[in-house]
Amino acid sequence: MRALSFLAALLFVPPLQADWRFAEPLSVSSAHGAAIFHHLESANRLGVAVSAQTAAVVWEDNRSGTPHCYVAFRESSAKAFANEIQLSEQSCYEPVVIGLGGGRFVAAWEEEGRVRARVVPGAAPALTLSGAEAGQATLAAGAGKTYAAWAEQAGRFRRIVVAHLALDESALALDSVHPVEPREPLDEQAWPALAVAGDGSLAVVWEDRRHKHTVPMHSHSGDGKVFSPPARLSEVPSGSVQGLGAGVGAMRPTLARWGATGVAAAWLDKRDFLSGYDVYAGLSSDGGRSFGRNLMVQDSFGANMAQWHAQVVGNPEGRLLVVWDDERDGTADIWMSEWDGKEFSEDVAPRGAAGPGSQSDPVATLDDAGNLHLAWIERRDDGGTQIRYSSASPR
Amino acid sequence: MKIILAWLAASMLWAGSVQADPPKGYPFVGFDAGLKAAKSSGKPIFIYFGRYGCAWCDHTNKQTFSDEGLRKLYTQNYELVYVDAESGRRLTLPNGERITEAELGVRLKAFATPLFVYFTPQGERIVQIPGFKTVKDFRDYDRYVREGHYKSKTLLEFLGDKS
Repeated sequence: MRALSFLAALLFVPPLQADWRFAEPLSVSSAHGAAIFHHLESANRLGVAVSAQTAAVVWEDNRSGTPHCYVAFRESSAKAFANEIQLSEQSCYEPVVIGLGGGRFVAAWEEEGRVRARVVPGAAPALTLSGAEAGQATLAAGAGKTYAAWAEQAGRFRRIVVAHLALDESALALDSVHPVEPREPLDEQAWPALAVAGDGSLAVVWEDRRHKHTVPMHSHSGDGKVFSPPARLSEVPSGSVQGLGAGVGAMRPTLARWGATGVAAAWLDKRDFLSGYDVYAGLSSDGGRSFGRNLMVQDSFGANMAQWHAQVVGNPEGRLLVVWDDERDGTADIWMSEWDGKEFSEDVAPRGAAGPGSQSDPVATLDDAGNLHLAWIERRDDGGTQIRYSSASPR
Repeated sequence: MKIILAWLAASMLWAGSVQADPPKGYPFVGFDAGLKAAKSSGKPIFIYFGRYGCAWCDHTNKQTFSDEGLRKLYTQNYELVYVDAESGRRLTLPNGERITEAELGVRLKAFATPLFVYFTPQGERIVQIPGFKTVKDFRDYDRYVREGHYKSKTLLEFLGDKS
């Protein structure tokens, strides 16, 4: 089945691999300083989204002395980001955002141990989604439906929960909430990622420790309520070596819609334990019901060192790329690789997101026109950070 | 009674949020608690950067940290911190930045586990050493750190002089 799935994946013929023409990077956040630290970390790394002609970036920073989550917007014709909004009232972590069309977005985040979400821009208050201690919120939309997922305490461990969100022009409502697995988790589950495939079905991936090491796993649902039994994304089997340990490391799976009926996953994988985490990907041509063989994403130059903060990005037209950061040139730079239908390309460092200094923690999305929107963290000379953004059109 | 309840609550919190493999019998705590304790005690900090299910961590625990003399040496003279290389648990760096335990691996440029990192009581990094190490190795690192050799020599220079 997996071989068939991979063969089917090969039949996706994406547009010819594009070089990208990146615009001059812009600063996103208005607050900077030696002790102000911005973070783009989130479940599925959904830190940037596009709706109509507006790009939105969400992040967390400590400008007030407390970690809060913020969103800023930029019209495509504007020279700068504006309308920065504080999303949270109390300590906030790992915000995500997706576009809904018409210039509207949904943002979700963890606030004081609960998952909250709201439509932005707009005056409607945030809705609390989780019923118990929870975090690592993520979102996905497609086929007229909007979903959220998060990791929620269920007994001793957290498990992955998926919600269908109902929304009108400006407000959200919680329609249904279902765990991926009804039983209490056997060990920790974390960092979910969702994608709505072209057929309207829902794929979910997450970190899972039931095998006593971290394994990226996936499940599928036709309706967001009943999920298939979890299966491994990683082909590396669990098991000890001469009675030691339980298996190789892996973390932070991400997921994106890809092509007419596909989804693609990418994650950090330590099967080559001598050079840190590598980026691996799995492609599905059936909406996430099954995945093909694992594919190493970064090229042989990158494979000699650790990769971090990987995210897979796709679109319905079949374009698929992965972004991450690594230090192959001495300092952290953003790198990307694009699927050409047979393999991932040689790695490319986007202009403005590589070079002297540290550029890390990329988040990216593709808009309806096929343009790439990329945001990342840049470390300043004074020790603080800032968020940078650039968009790119295919040549 | 209050102390017992507080200890039980802390133990449950630890069990619920950290599913990694610190060696048995050592009073490892989280990063923030270890840094706070070091500022109070003046002891250097020993960070065990491990990974859930890591074979070499398991090997180190069984072959090295099972040594009773080493357990006494490190328990008495260090604030012991365990960090899970893949965890989303939060910690605060000495400069005030809040990151996750996994992100600490990025900052330490960790490419393998286990990774052992020694910090001053003020949270300044002294030295970090990856991979399986013996009891003798850890006794040498202890001398390098607590006798202050790190102020004038690299670890390799110190080990070369010693032999």
